[in-house]
Amino acid sequence: MKLLTASVLALASASAAFAQDLPQASSQWFTDGQATLQAQLDRQPITGRAKNVILFIADGNGVASNYMNRLWAGQQEGGMGDDYVQPQEAFPNLALVKTYNINAQTPDSAPTAGAMNTGVKQRFNLINLGEEAIHDDCSTVAGNELTLFSEMMTDAGKSVGAITTARLTHATPAAVYAKTANRNWEDEVPADCSAQTDIASQLINALESGVVDIALGGGARYFVPKGTATPNGGEGHRPDGVNLVETAQSNGIQYVSDKAGLDATTNDKPILGMWTDSHASYEADRPETEPSLADMTRKAIEYLGENENGFYLEIEAGRVDHANHDTNAKRAMIDGKAFADAVALADELTEDADTLIIVTADHEHAIAMNGYCGRGTPIDGLCYDVAQTGIMHSDDLVFGSDDKPYTVVGYLNGVGSVMVEQPDGTFAAPEGRPEITQEEAQDIDYVQQSLIPKSSESHSGVDVALYAKGPWAHLFDGTIEQNVIFHVMDYAVTAE
Amino acid sequence: MLTRRNLVLAALAVPVASRVWAERAAPMKPRDLYARGGAFTDKARALDGQKVRFEGFMAPPLKADAAFFVLTQRPMAVCPFCESEAEWPDDILAVYIRRRLDVSPFNVRIEASGRLELGRYTDPETGFLSMVRLVDATYG
Repeated sequence: MKLLTASVLALASASAAFAQDLPQASSQWFTDGQATLQAQLDRQPITGRAKNVILFIADGNGVASNYMNRLWAGQQEGGMGDDYVQPQEAFPNLALVKTYNINAQTPDSAPTAGAMNTGVKQRFNLINLGEEAIHDDCSTVAGNELTLFSEMMTDAGKSVGAITTARLTHATPAAVYAKTANRNWEDEVPADCSAQTDIASQLINALESGVVDIALGGGARYFVPKGTATPNGGEGHRPDGVNLVETAQSNGIQYVSDKAGLDATTNDKPILGMWTDSHASYEADRPETEPSLADMTRKAIEYLGENENGFYLEIEAGRVDHANHDTNAKRAMIDGKAFADAVALADELTEDADTLIIVTADHEHAIAMNGYCGRGTPIDGLCYDVAQTGIMHSDDLVFGSDDKPYTVVGYLNGVGSVMVEQPDGTFAAPEGRPEITQEEAQDIDYVQQSLIPKSSESHSGVDVALYAKGPWAHLFDGTIEQNVIFHVMDYAVTAE
Repeated sequence: MLTRRNLVLAALAVPVASRVWAERAAPMKPRDLYARGGAFTDKARALDGQKVRFEGFMAPPLKADAAFFVLTQRPMAVCPFCESEAEWPDDILAVYIRRRLDVSPFNVRIEASGRLELGRYTDPETGFLSMVRLVDATYG
């Protein structure tokens, strides 16, 4: 060990001495590179036991989507975007994560979140059941239920939270507390299914039993009977006539349906908050009465932080995924910025010494970036050419071989396909690819052009990034399987 | 030189020009009807009962011979991993048409003109509840 340390020091000093002789040594790029090198040399792993674990998941926010979000956030601050550093990108530890499911090269959000919450990969479209369980087959539930990280943390005396901008019964938050043969059994199971209850009922059970202490998001309709008004003014959806909101309230759970209500909650009883009947709003459309992801993050950390034994909190930005499915890149990047704001807040509210923060995604989308664009090209708009002098892009748009401009962000498939259904049922583009103006491309409702026509753009199996800081975050390294995330979380909270 | 005759002609021309301008102005979008949180905008309330023109996309019809279709702000993506069942976005406009429905692909932009009508209405054939409609509409 001593020899290794001496070698590292020698390498560092040799590097510095060598650098001074280089003609580029006075460049800002060079000195920044040297500073980064020194920061890496100074880095010390944190090896104490983690009191708290926060698992951030931006649904559908793979490496390409994250890149898009970075440029958007940077350009919103007046910069060019590509040199911007999102809060999670300043974390010291990084891994790439392989996201496939047991039986799916292209994953869905149910088994991916399940892998993070149980330590094992799972089968497509089910949540927290072992590898013998079959999707949509209730008879395979019994005996295949897995133990959840939330249950283990509850047994260890910690508190647990799940917050999301999707429905609370949707795949990613459900993976914190539910075990189901079908991710869509949100408020109903098949008539002959007695081995499990619906996902909403499982959440109420988890709140009543203490496995979950705070749950915030959307989706009230799955807790209210059909024909009954929800607290949000819509109509319930439950076919069994059970009002789970009333059940929760009668069992001492604080129920809230807007930001004012959330702000008025106390920290002595469990909290269930649902701002909408289905998914919460996209950040671009969110009314002030609805808490942002950062608002929910603050409340959850303040609430869970009351437990001196610590907590486990999963935080999902669920609608990055939905906007990508719509090939509506602008809403995806705006939600990506809201996600980053929540990450920054969580980092600010916790201590590196006792809180392991993990920031990742469950899967990527069929999204890609076009080139060659000059620096400063608006990430939500058309691709501008590289300038021969200076740094900023030129005023010339980049054209395809069809002499038409194109956006930076594109998707391989989706509703914005350039091929449109013809009267005879075939798909074609008789007039070629549509022309796009910068004004159209930057509209909040613009859907990007794509190749393959599909009613909804698809996920992809491409790796996602994982950023981490805090106790044992350095165990995240290299290219890992998604279920390894659980194992590092478990090691961090039990390490001697 | 301003004469009484010119003045009268100019006065007559204003409403005509105004009407022509209205017809040629950029069409509205379904989102123009809704404020954040889902309430109607002032603009929507002001145009209640007026002839207006919208652009958007024709959602796949609920029924082959339906008397109406739904105009959406963006192409109506149906995402099996977002929704467990068909779900309408918040910013839609029901368009009740004069003639038989000729279905347009869901991702091709169209325009529809008609009289704006605000208020709850349940379609007797499909049970579809709309809060705002274009009635006596044409599209293309």
